[in-house]
Amino acid sequence: MGGKVTCTLGEVKNRADLIIYWGGNPADCHPLHFSRYTLNAKGKHVPQGRKGRTMVLVDVRETPSVRFSDIFLQVRPGKDFEVVTTLRALLKNRPVDEARVAETGLTLEQLQNLVDRMKNARFGVLFFGMGLTMTRGKHMNSAAVLTLVAELNAFTKFVSMPMRGHGNVTGADVVMRWTTGFPFGVNLSRGYPRFNPGEFSTIDVLVRGDNDAALILGADPGATMPQPAIDHLARIPTIVLDPKLTHTSRLARVHITTATTGISAPGTAYRMDEIPLPLKPILKSPYPTDEEVIRRIYEKVKVKPAWSPAAYAKVPCA
Amino acid sequence: MLRISGGRVYDPANGIQGEVKDICIADGRIVNDVQGAAVRTIPASGMVVFPGGVDVHTHVAGAALNFARGMTPENHRAAAKFIHSPLLRAGTGGITPTTFATGYLYAGMGYTTVNEAAVPILSARHTHEELRDTPIVDKSSCVLMANNEILLDLFEEGETERARDVLAWLIWAAKGYGVKAVNPGGVAAWKWGKDAKVLSDPVHGYGKVTPAIIIAQLAAIVDHLRLPHPLHIHCNNLGVPGNVSTTLETMRVLEGHRAHMAHLQFHAYGGDDWTTLRSEAAAVAEYFNAHPNLTADAGAILFGNSVTITADGPWQHLLYQLTGRKWGNLDVENETGCGIVPYVYKGSNVVNAVQWAVGLELLLLIDDPWRIFLTTDHPNGACFWRYPEVIHLLMDASFRRECLRKLPSRALKRIVLPDVDREYTLSEIATITSAGPARALGMPRKGHLGPGADADVTIYNESPDRGLMFRHPRYVLKGGEVVVEEGDIRKVVDGRELIVRPAYDENIEEYLRPLFEQYYTVAFENYPVEQERLEGADIRELG
Ligand SMILES: [Zn+2]
Repeated sequence: MGGKVTCTLGEVKNRADLIIYWGGNPADCHPLHFSRYTLNAKGKHVPQGRKGRTMVLVDVRETPSVRFSDIFLQVRPGKDFEVVTTLRALLKNRPVDEARVAETGLTLEQLQNLVDRMKNARFGVLFFGMGLTMTRGKHMNSAAVLTLVAELNAFTKFVSMPMRGHGNVTGADVVMRWTTGFPFGVNLSRGYPRFNPGEFSTIDVLVRGDNDAALILGADPGATMPQPAIDHLARIPTIVLDPKLTHTSRLARVHITTATTGISAPGTAYRMDEIPLPLKPILKSPYPTDEEVIRRIYEKVKVKPAWSPAAYAKVPCA
Repeated sequence: MLRISGGRVYDPANGIQGEVKDICIADGRIVNDVQGAAVRTIPASGMVVFPGGVDVHTHVAGAALNFARGMTPENHRAAAKFIHSPLLRAGTGGITPTTFATGYLYAGMGYTTVNEAAVPILSARHTHEELRDTPIVDKSSCVLMANNEILLDLFEEGETERARDVLAWLIWAAKGYGVKAVNPGGVAAWKWGKDAKVLSDPVHGYGKVTPAIIIAQLAAIVDHLRLPHPLHIHCNNLGVPGNVSTTLETMRVLEGHRAHMAHLQFHAYGGDDWTTLRSEAAAVAEYFNAHPNLTADAGAILFGNSVTITADGPWQHLLYQLTGRKWGNLDVENETGCGIVPYVYKGSNVVNAVQWAVGLELLLLIDDPWRIFLTTDHPNGACFWRYPEVIHLLMDASFRRECLRKLPSRALKRIVLPDVDREYTLSEIATITSAGPARALGMPRKGHLGPGADADVTIYNESPDRGLMFRHPRYVLKGGEVVVEEGDIRKVVDGRELIVRPAYDENIEEYLRPLFEQYYTVAFENYPVEQERLEGADIRELG
């Protein structure tokens, strides 16, 4: 199974009586999540707010989010996939090996209890974070969680949602899909979009040293990427557009300071549930917007003879 | 200025059926005559001249389609590639084309106006961003209303007048054109994992409101507001065996009002279950023929790959359970939902074979081409760029019989298509692909070639191979500019958005604001799409 069974955050606010956070620490990383959308929000069909909802937290360590939860399930690191798979088996009343369940750090009773809560919820939601998607199993973990949630819909209403990171990552993903068909990891070097995560994703391209220039917008790979990728960025002409000096700026050839989008530049941001929100500037900035800088770079680039496979095809072989 | 000279003109709206005559163009519009040295002449003798195609029901932009794009990378890999050039943007064709490719593909087929049929208000800003990136074609959109809980609550309380103001405000907030009803009440029920299968039963979570009440109220409001396009309705029980009774009942509820029945093929089935499913196209056509308040589009299916995308969440869950393939579902707070399931229609599958026949039967048994239009509910039944295949089937009965021979014999007993000999004429094709949908959409400047019309013109090389002829127009003009010549895009113009602004009592905002603060997760001020975002939109104010 692929795909995703999800909703906008208002559905969670208005309906969810069971809220599961898996592999994330919303109390620190998404501080407004509880009050605006989930635990404490009073919704149309959950007028009592926090009292009308049960929160389950699944994580490998105790975080500040634990004290917000009703039930905390501490999974042994790297065992998330096994836990999800056990839940799927229990959902279908399949036999499970108690000894292997014990290896996950949780007991069969705990997992059976969770499955019962899930099946009996009126509206359940599972938010999953990087603790699930970036640890052992990676996309297999995401797929397992998405499948579990899809299968729960045979019993009740259940949805899932990844807890996306900072900035407008979702917006980039949305626009890439409508312009190229793919969310990320797109290579346009042949003149049309090709998609291959693991080959064309930024880290892979940088680590292999495939690119001979880099334009960085709204990101700070110099702070987060593996060292070989950072080394390559330092080797090639790297241009950074950012309102502030970032780690990447320090290793770049050019840093262009731009106006902060949402404060002094207009635009659209896509929330983690892909709802587009208008950004309305409240201050004037002495700096140009990202859009303006890109447009001016593009005007200069356009003066050069166009590169396109179609144009090349018409050039006779010399 | 431009003169298309000596072509055989099919302009059904103006009663012209294959007369040889010149079409003259100035300033982007059709005019009576042009003269002088500045006139470019397109010699069109031996060619066939149509008004540009108008798609009354398609899904080309917005959150649901974009969700589908992300879900099916394997389809894009096999799809046609659009290579970046000084003129064209890169993109991917296939089942869910990217926005730029969508504009090129529609124009390349001679279509110049499209109606995006399902827009949630909450994400309308996204839809318009995609439509802006869809070049050449003009665009309108229908706003999803039949599961909007603010409206349903008002219907429950019998507050018809306030509902009218809310609906009008919502259309303008979404910068929409028409009103769409999808599985009335059923999507709201789906928020609790339920459906609405009986038109007279209260919707889950409500005491009085039934699907029938929602349908009747919406149709009445749309008529009262004098929206150019009637209520655009996707009936309850889509795709389900035996749903013909629901469809006929819906049409009875609509008596006395205008309405457009979307993708009727998916709503014309008899039988009790999947093993007994049969065509009820004849029964639907008989009722429909006698009720001139209705228009419909076919929603024909063609064998091959598709992705089903609809606001009908419960149906998509059922389809997921039937196929066991991918399933995407996106419920939108207080308004609607959408489901996405990739699907392959197979000629060897009895159910699919019946579906294939039902689409054609409706097109052939509904006798007024002004009321039934060519669609495949793209990408649900087939991709829009396969319309020429349907045209071929409609115009050529012997080709149809050839295709019928390939179907499983069990399917043949459940359809009436083998007994239908009708063949569409060119004039009728011009009607179901352009003149009719333009009239149903209430677009007086579209779908015809009379003076004042937008100069959207498609010119075909006449060929006995109708599939070939309609796949590759010789020229396509949009707003008087030659955008396609010999199958190549020659010029990329921006398409306009068509928007309606109905009249409403401004005080309705004071009623809506507190509801928003309670039920929504976006600020009331951030909800409406800003007019400034839609450059060059054609806004029609209704008094
Ligand atoms: Zn549709």
